[in-house]
Amino acid sequence: MGLILTHMPPLHWAVAGAGIAAITLCLQWLANRRLGISSGFEDVCSFIFPVLYFQRSSVRSGRTWRLPFVIGLLMGGFLSAALSGGWTPTWELGMLDTLLGLSPSGKLAWMFVGGLFIGFGTRLAGGCTSGHGIFGLSNFELASLVATISFMASGIVTTQFLYRVVLHWQS
Amino acid sequence: MTLLYLALGTAFGFVLSRSGAADYGYIQAMFLFQDFQLYGIIGTAVALTAPGLWLIKRRGRTAGGRRIEIELKSLNRGTMVGGALFGVGWSIAGMCPGPIFVNIGEGKVYALAALAGALVGAGAFGAIYARLQSWFGLPPLALSPSKR
Repeated sequence: MGLILTHMPPLHWAVAGAGIAAITLCLQWLANRRLGISSGFEDVCSFIFPVLYFQRSSVRSGRTWRLPFVIGLLMGGFLSAALSGGWTPTWELGMLDTLLGLSPSGKLAWMFVGGLFIGFGTRLAGGCTSGHGIFGLSNFELASLVATISFMASGIVTTQFLYRVVLHWQS
Repeated sequence: MTLLYLALGTAFGFVLSRSGAADYGYIQAMFLFQDFQLYGIIGTAVALTAPGLWLIKRRGRTAGGRRIEIELKSLNRGTMVGGALFGVGWSIAGMCPGPIFVNIGEGKVYALAALAGALVGAGAFGAIYARLQSWFGLPPLALSPSKR
């Protein structure tokens, strides 16, 4: 199996995991920041929505680091594409294209719905794969264990249902 | 400091992009139990971050000598319900929050819609926070003095 972006195999999981650990530890040791990305949605929201929730002190003080970090994520993706044969816009979705073949507008609708769940769910849970799954578990926080079990279980159920029952996927 | 955050974010984005963590197919393969890749990544990351964090906390100071501060996550009814909702979104979009930004950077056009959805979802959460607070036992808003 290859990546949609490069059509090549990915980095070995141990290398990728070690890289993520190194970056997480650097953030804490160099800058005293707890890794967490979904709070970055609040930073962006704080510019768009005039709601009291987004004027909390933690949002206002977090913007100075999370916004550059998130811009870095965009740049990292861009760099990865540019170094693997050039950056080109794409609509490719791998196995979903094979089984469902959505039009571009269908993909936008599909992704928007997924995004709604991601935005609302991560805020209600207080974190995502990075803040709960990587940092929180590493810091032995009970809330992170509950959240991680919860989103892994729910992701498994949703994909199993979608692929095995609805789309008749066969391995 | 801004440059440090940019650099760490770029490195993080690059690793997510090349590891499969920002790849729709690898996310589905993880949830279908067809591929070990993502389990290996998360497992390795936690197995190495945990002892590293322990050391940092034991030392108690950042590289620059400031006191280490880690704000802990609160556990309430929203932790489980929110986690379950997020899992549905992660499965549908094939992206968690970090990879949404990485996919946009890579040029995957549909990821823009995932970001728009996530911002609307987070915005809706903020707009009805007062109601959710009593339902789920969420912590009170900590507002800065100037905005109170």
